[in-house]
Amino acid sequence: MQTDKAVSVSKLSRHFGKFIAVDEISFEVDKGEIFGFLGANGAGKTTAIKMLCGLLKPTSGEATVAGFSINSDTSKIKKNIGYMSQKFSLYDDLTVKENIEFYGGIYGLSREKISDKTDQLISELNLDKMKNSLTRSLPLGWKQRLALSTSLLHDPSIIFLDEPTGGVDPISRRNFWRIIYEIASRGKTVFVTTHYMDEAEYCNRVSIMHKGKIIELGTPTGLKQKYNKTTMQDIFISIIGQN
Amino acid sequence: MRQIFYLVQKEFRQIFRDFSMVRILFVVPLIQIFILGNAITTDVKNIKIVFQDQDKTPYSREFISRFVHSEYFKIIGFEENYNRLSSYLDSGKASLAIVIPRHFQRDIVLKDKPDIQLLVDGVDGNSAGVSLGYITDIVQKYQERLIESSPDLSLQVKNVRRVETEPRFWFNPNLESKLYIVPGIIALILLIITLFLTSMGIVREKEIGTLEQLMVTPIRSYQLVIGKIIPFSILGMLEIMISMGFVYLIFGIGVKGSLPLLLFESSLFIISTLGLGIFISTISDTQQQALFIAWFFMIFSILLSGFFIPIANMPPVIQHITRLNPLRYYIVILREIYLKGTSFKDLIPETLAMATFGLCLFFAAVMRFRKKLG
Repeated sequence: MQTDKAVSVSKLSRHFGKFIAVDEISFEVDKGEIFGFLGANGAGKTTAIKMLCGLLKPTSGEATVAGFSINSDTSKIKKNIGYMSQKFSLYDDLTVKENIEFYGGIYGLSREKISDKTDQLISELNLDKMKNSLTRSLPLGWKQRLALSTSLLHDPSIIFLDEPTGGVDPISRRNFWRIIYEIASRGKTVFVTTHYMDEAEYCNRVSIMHKGKIIELGTPTGLKQKYNKTTMQDIFISIIGQN
Repeated sequence: MRQIFYLVQKEFRQIFRDFSMVRILFVVPLIQIFILGNAITTDVKNIKIVFQDQDKTPYSREFISRFVHSEYFKIIGFEENYNRLSSYLDSGKASLAIVIPRHFQRDIVLKDKPDIQLLVDGVDGNSAGVSLGYITDIVQKYQERLIESSPDLSLQVKNVRRVETEPRFWFNPNLESKLYIVPGIIALILLIITLFLTSMGIVREKEIGTLEQLMVTPIRSYQLVIGKIIPFSILGMLEIMISMGFVYLIFGIGVKGSLPLLLFESSLFIISTLGLGIFISTISDTQQQALFIAWFFMIFSILLSGFFIPIANMPPVIQHITRLNPLRYYIVILREIYLKGTSFKDLIPETLAMATFGLCLFFAAVMRFRKKLG
């Protein structure tokens, strides 16, 4: 399989009993790309992302992530990816510092590295005053930025974000996307699912999933031309409406 | 290895984050030992008794006086009307009614055999049986005295030939149920704390989503399991020492046998409760479910452990089922070490059974846990 691609998916399927959550999807993601995964709730986005992260075994098909097969090499994949889900993934009852230390330790970082990273993250996120507060006392937008930063502690080449901005106010979302751009500018691949159509505009390329299938894939500008619409929102509604 | 250290460190930080866990660790054993140790008693004392003396003679009064001086009985009154006796039992004012028939004295003197009627509240069969035993004892003593004081020599000769039992109760000479119950309570506390903490601890991470987050890290599921069981085993061992301390302070009951042996056996027992906890976490998605299922298992293991109901009294099929219950062996082991100072050699069968089931349960649960995550 090609290793110049960050993610390469070929006829990937996942069935839950009779229900087909993901139906033979195929696509590729380039390195350093911000790849948007759009779709209504229940379209199969989360199932697909879970398979790519090695959380779920596919029923059939193949995919490589960072050059490793999701069928046979999940432990290598896990070392090379970051993951942040729609569920909040930090420990509410640990302090900011303790959360960073914990995830750093889990990723096998050395003690010095952990303390360096902790200082760096805390200053980057302006959390200096909050570093010894319990994470539950942080505003949601900050928590999410902290969660994103901790999922980058081990310097992964690909980062999967599963509806990272769910429930966050517009300003925090904008700040969050600034960080995503910053991550991508460092050459990292960002794979993000969302159902906010304004966020889709920020992606280099988007794919639209519907009932387990990828029904459209392209750049936001390309899609706008193809469907003769001015916003992703209109495109999405017209495509989903047709189906 | 370092990953496990961080997991354990995180777990302890969470456990001792607020004071509530410390409270649970100390207050639960204190209350359980103090209240249950005093309340759960199979000693039958203060049996409320109502008399009907239809004879009213020195002999009948002498008979009744024997109940006055017994700590087992408490005479609540005398009833003249035979038909009203049953109302005492109905209302629960008395659990025992004794009717001394007319001509009680005359019959004894004439060497006829007077019959005393006992009306016993049999709802609590166990207590009823025990009180019957006490009464038989009193009647027998009364009879012996009658015979001894009788001028009739032939009667006294008959008395000489009687076989009597002189029981000596070893290890618990006064048959205090406290001594028997308290080690069992320690076992229950250990079961409750470790079972609930483990199952809830894992399911909580499932619920909030951190378990999923951990699964996308390179961490192995076995490391995750070890990272969970180390802190909970340490808490369990801490809990048993706290409990033993309270037992000593409150009841003055110390361990007769070897303390290291007791701790060793306890750690074997904890393996099974941790295993069960992990198993429960694999079949529940929310903490409520885990709590409910843990409760279900807890009730079964307690009722089938011989803690309340002697296993020998159970139907044979159920008796065989209790063999699968690690708590059954652990309670026996605790009682043996606590009260008799039994050595390891004599506890090998129980230890082996407990360890075997514990390890099987544990590994099966861990396999299931790994499969679920993988």
